[in-house]
Amino acid sequence: MTRSVLLTIVFLLLVLSSSGCTDFVEPNQLAFVIGTGVDHVEDGTMEVSQQIVIPSQLSGQAESSGNSNSFVVMSAKGRGIFEASQKIQKKMSRRVMTSHRILNAISEEFLIKNDGRKLFDKLNRDPANNLRDITVLIKGRSAKDYLMLKHPIERLSSISSGKELQINGLRRFSTRQFILDSLSEGIRPLLPVLEIKDFKENDKKTDPIAVLSGFAALNKKLKVKGILDVDESSAVIWMAGKGSFHAITIPWKNGKGILAFRLTHLQRRIRSVHGNDLKRIILTVKAQAYLIENTTSLDMSEVDNMIEVQKYVNEEIQKEFQITMNKVQQWETDVIGIGEHLHRKYPYWWKAQKDDWDDNFKKVQVTVKSNIRLKSVGTSGGQIK
Amino acid sequence: MKVSNYQMFWLINISSMIIVSYLPIRLAAEISHQDAWICIVLGSMIMMIATWVILRVCKQNKDKTLVNFIKDLLGTVLGKIIVAVYFLNWFMQLSLISKGTVEFQNLVMLHNTPMIVILICLLFLVAYAVYKGGITAISRCAEVIGPFFVVILFVQLFLNPQDMDIKRILPIYTDSGWIHILKGTFISFNYLVDPSIILMLFFFAENKRTASRAILWGTATSMLWGILATLVLLFVTGPQMAANLVVPVYTLTKFVSILNFVQNIDAFYIPLWLFGAFIKLAVCLFILSYGLSEWTGFKNWKLIAWLTTCLWLSYVLYSSYNIRISFTLKNSLLIGFFYPFIYIVMPLILWMISSIRQRGKAKSIG
Repeated sequence: MTRSVLLTIVFLLLVLSSSGCTDFVEPNQLAFVIGTGVDHVEDGTMEVSQQIVIPSQLSGQAESSGNSNSFVVMSAKGRGIFEASQKIQKKMSRRVMTSHRILNAISEEFLIKNDGRKLFDKLNRDPANNLRDITVLIKGRSAKDYLMLKHPIERLSSISSGKELQINGLRRFSTRQFILDSLSEGIRPLLPVLEIKDFKENDKKTDPIAVLSGFAALNKKLKVKGILDVDESSAVIWMAGKGSFHAITIPWKNGKGILAFRLTHLQRRIRSVHGNDLKRIILTVKAQAYLIENTTSLDMSEVDNMIEVQKYVNEEIQKEFQITMNKVQQWETDVIGIGEHLHRKYPYWWKAQKDDWDDNFKKVQVTVKSNIRLKSVGTSGGQIK
Repeated sequence: MKVSNYQMFWLINISSMIIVSYLPIRLAAEISHQDAWICIVLGSMIMMIATWVILRVCKQNKDKTLVNFIKDLLGTVLGKIIVAVYFLNWFMQLSLISKGTVEFQNLVMLHNTPMIVILICLLFLVAYAVYKGGITAISRCAEVIGPFFVVILFVQLFLNPQDMDIKRILPIYTDSGWIHILKGTFISFNYLVDPSIILMLFFFAENKRTASRAILWGTATSMLWGILATLVLLFVTGPQMAANLVVPVYTLTKFVSILNFVQNIDAFYIPLWLFGAFIKLAVCLFILSYGLSEWTGFKNWKLIAWLTTCLWLSYVLYSSYNIRISFTLKNSLLIGFFYPFIYIVMPLILWMISSIRQRGKAKSIG
């Protein structure tokens, strides 16, 4: 009898503790953080803002996104991320949980006035973070402002930005990628830049929303060296081998009409002109083109026209990309990863270069070549007039 | 108490894999960055050879455990001293693995549960399994846990193909150079597997002729996993980040995102690692207490198992208050002398003596 009672007690204890009941937080005791923002404060500290969903508002129908808020933004100042987050926790009725975060927003001001690298340690050290989320730069306004925005379609601004990048084929901009690029010696990080702009939803309403307005090229110390606009960044992302989709519209030679293409299977190749002489580099971009729009007088069912169009597209892309490439080189920050490519291919040569690669990157003569193949002219041969 | 070949395979496999997933990858990556996988390959080769040598020794003395045959080979006094060194190693393994497991639980999941509660639960379970059924119970458990454990751990390596970039391990060799690669190897191989447990376990094998094949396969499978895991880690995180990860295999599970839907699967892997740690600890505790009973001549090894558990518990608790004792991973005495001695030098000496003896015996009979 005593034996069985003893066993029962032991097993109960084991069952309770092994299932983690001692330390369990019910889902209705959790506050799910979807976006985190980091801003600069004048006294040298930082302000951390957490965008937290309100679950009771989420379960309702779509009308909830119109009137009532489905999220709350809590913020606090601190010397580090943890101090600020703890201050937020103190104000919360629920345990703040960051494992499901999908976006980190850093304001431009923060990177200008602080060393952005100090954010990495917490991201990597604290197991409460997942590095699957994306990191974006907020231009002009503070990250807190951004988190407070509503979005006409999605419930939260960070969800909308996450989806925006995802759907436009920009999947390689996770926080993990950001940290990897900034730790690596031969490549510098590119950060998506969001800008807050007024958006007219309908006749009555105009709301500010955040839109992707380009990419920021950062240097080793995470200082913004320049911001590429949407077209340029699309080119740079492709040249950096991180893109999966590109759209291009070019006017035809005689100025009458345009040609628009969807480009898929984006690739890039880097090689030197003469073997081990790495002063002159050729960067080739490759893709498959699908003609989507044609307002020129060309009959695209003719093979000669197809060949001519393909040749012309290549020339135009080459021209346009070369300009962008020169611009990036002037900024002295290798966001394209030419250094990393050469590091892997010519490791001995790299040893002499790595210490001041940003400077050397500017001196390398990079020629952009384009190798686009016209895959299809779409479902219409000639034009419907 | 007999262990079939199938059970032996899982016993060896799980207890090796749990250490591979815990320590060597990080130690190798810290020193040799993107060439960490070369360190693990070299280390695996060293350990496979060590396992083979140990198996030769065991086969030559198949009707005795280490404690008894070492007396025949080296004499009673020297034999007893050397065996005590092995006991020390197993005890260190016990405290290392249990402490690592418990502190990891505290770090990632149970922030407020006192360490001692988790520790007592774990130790009680291990001691209870050893007390109730000895190696028979442990090997049954291993047989059941093994397939899940190994398959799921292998599957884990292929769950983030979208994040992998094979080029991250380039350039091979040039950046670190052979000094760093060898240094990484010599630090990490000590924690790759613990072949010395075979010296005790082999005695319990049902079929001694084929058991060595099971043991070699068990070791090889875990080595293969170790090499793949290192490569995958480097593909996903690149050398600079990998060098700073304390629990790289756990970090890998956190990156998994299948179709943006299956995420945060680490909570699923943590219990699995606990299962693995349970097998490893139970094996170690069993051979330690059984060995101690033979060593002292005190027959009741189950009592010794309980006493050892108490000692073990108090040691882990004490060492958690003393940071210097609890972080001895890179202690140069251990790495430079202790581990190579018990894993490589001692088995070689035993093999030599035992071979000479048997030849002598064969001659005298002939």
